[in-house]
Amino acid sequence: MIIVNDLEKHYRIAKRDPGLRGAIKSLFHRKYETKKAVKGINMHINAGEMVGYIGANGAGKSTTIKMLTGILTPTSGEVKVNGIVPYENRKQNASHIGAIFGQRTQLFWDIPVRESYELLKHIYEIPQKQYEETLAEFVDVLHLGPLLGIPVRQLSLGQKMRCELAAAFLHRPKVVYLDEPTIGLDVAVKVRIRAFIKQMNARYGTTVLLTTHDMQDIEEICQRIIIIDDGNVIYDGSIQDIKSQFGEKRVIHFELEDSITECVLPEELKKVAKILPRTDEDHHNVSISFSNKDISGAEVIHSMMNQYSVADLTIADAKIETIVEEIYGRGMKGRVHHEEIH
Amino acid sequence: MRKYIEFARVQMQVHAAYSAWFWANTFSVLLRMLVIYFFWKAVYSSRTEIEGLHFDGMITYIIIAMFLQMFVSGVGRELAHTIKDGNVAIELMRPYHLITRLIAMDIGDKVVYFIRGALPLGLLAFVFMDITLPETWQGGVLFLFSAILGIWIGTFFDLLIAILAFWTINLWGLEVMKEAVISFFSGALVPLILFPEWFQTASLFLPFQAMVYVPVAIYTGILTGTEAWLAVGSQVVWAVLLFILLRVLWSFAMKKVTIFGG
Repeated sequence: MIIVNDLEKHYRIAKRDPGLRGAIKSLFHRKYETKKAVKGINMHINAGEMVGYIGANGAGKSTTIKMLTGILTPTSGEVKVNGIVPYENRKQNASHIGAIFGQRTQLFWDIPVRESYELLKHIYEIPQKQYEETLAEFVDVLHLGPLLGIPVRQLSLGQKMRCELAAAFLHRPKVVYLDEPTIGLDVAVKVRIRAFIKQMNARYGTTVLLTTHDMQDIEEICQRIIIIDDGNVIYDGSIQDIKSQFGEKRVIHFELEDSITECVLPEELKKVAKILPRTDEDHHNVSISFSNKDISGAEVIHSMMNQYSVADLTIADAKIETIVEEIYGRGMKGRVHHEEIH
Repeated sequence: MRKYIEFARVQMQVHAAYSAWFWANTFSVLLRMLVIYFFWKAVYSSRTEIEGLHFDGMITYIIIAMFLQMFVSGVGRELAHTIKDGNVAIELMRPYHLITRLIAMDIGDKVVYFIRGALPLGLLAFVFMDITLPETWQGGVLFLFSAILGIWIGTFFDLLIAILAFWTINLWGLEVMKEAVISFFSGALVPLILFPEWFQTASLFLPFQAMVYVPVAIYTGILTGTEAWLAVGSQVVWAVLLFILLRVLWSFAMKKVTIFGG
């Protein structure tokens, strides 16, 4: 459904010296600097897949999405969405895709939600019967009933996002790009939105490419994630894989009854675990990191309790969140390539 | 085509939603009409004609020009805003042509304005302000044709300026200047025949007089016969020229957006 080969995008940014002199100078002579936002991305996404596309701010996510939607022309490389080259046939591509940009509204500001949908019906040339069916379904799932008569500008953020979501799926697009669809929303709305996306995928086989900083979104919706950093794909594979690859690393935080300046590990743990440097001045706390491969959590706790009097303990979960954080932090360029994981 | 008609329809509906704005606007137009009327009444109190125009002709020209000027601006501001806040990217993801969509919305705007604003106020002016009808029915028909061309030229010029938002950081200055230049050079304030000879020659080569002066001059009989036809001919040339220019500039802008990322 989505084929991307060796995709690159370079921006040319005008460089300008600071101050008024720089401004005047730049009128006559401009220096340009090339910024490589995307440096050779490959990805193949099949119809009906739901893929999380994640990366730190400025990693090149939006640039990629813009090229997939046809708004940007790539510097080099190949893009095909549903057999169409988006930047060459923008309008044709547009009728097969849906999109949400969490920060911008796509509904029409001044008219009631229902009118917005009516207009979308004409824009996407949706047959009347299909339109009615789809809308009825969406109203039911997203609880839009009471909102239909209200102008968009009067809706709350959560209400608006539900309406946006319906708008993006209304013409039953083959591919939907969701850019931060749950940003700033409360948990209840998030849950509803995730359920809706999954339902659309199950019923219409919609391919979903989801960009988000909310790892809960990814974990609940996607089977596969693609992580990009600094314009390169640094991981492409299933969530399960990445969890077992990085997720064996566990951390247990102990809160001791006595204050200890220098904590010494019990003999049996010395080889397999290590003490993490303290983040605060509290001498009651000790954090121990270890790998599930070497030792089980129960054993670690057992040994620690034998040696110290433990008041409380928490086991940090092997969440995708912590893993991704680690990957971003390490900038694991060159160390883990997706070829090795598969 | 259907989707563009829908855009025009929705735009009319949006207008219906802002009735306070509408009444404020109607009131200000009414006030302007009164000011104009009494101003020219005072001017004509000491003389019977200026450059061959009697009071009737002058007030007819000024009022008709005032109404026409309201139609010669367009949706440029809307386009400029879309470009400035980056929403143009979303617009480009939709299966329609943005410029055509804006023009459709503009038509919706103008139809509503014509029915709710210009028509009743115009009738009022006819009844109370000594406004005359065109001398011949041919003049009337030619006026309608010429007025539509004038509105077309104004709308396209407006969009043309707005597209410059892709290149400039601040469009506000440009917009203010455009407004000033148009009200001066288009003959919306006073007939161009009141200006010096060189000024009239200069404006012959500019698109502005084609927006307001030509149609209203045809209406009031300032331009007749071959002169009128020549003027309409030049309007057609401008209409086509601006249309082409807009397309070229738009495709340049699209290239800039899609290749350089705005």
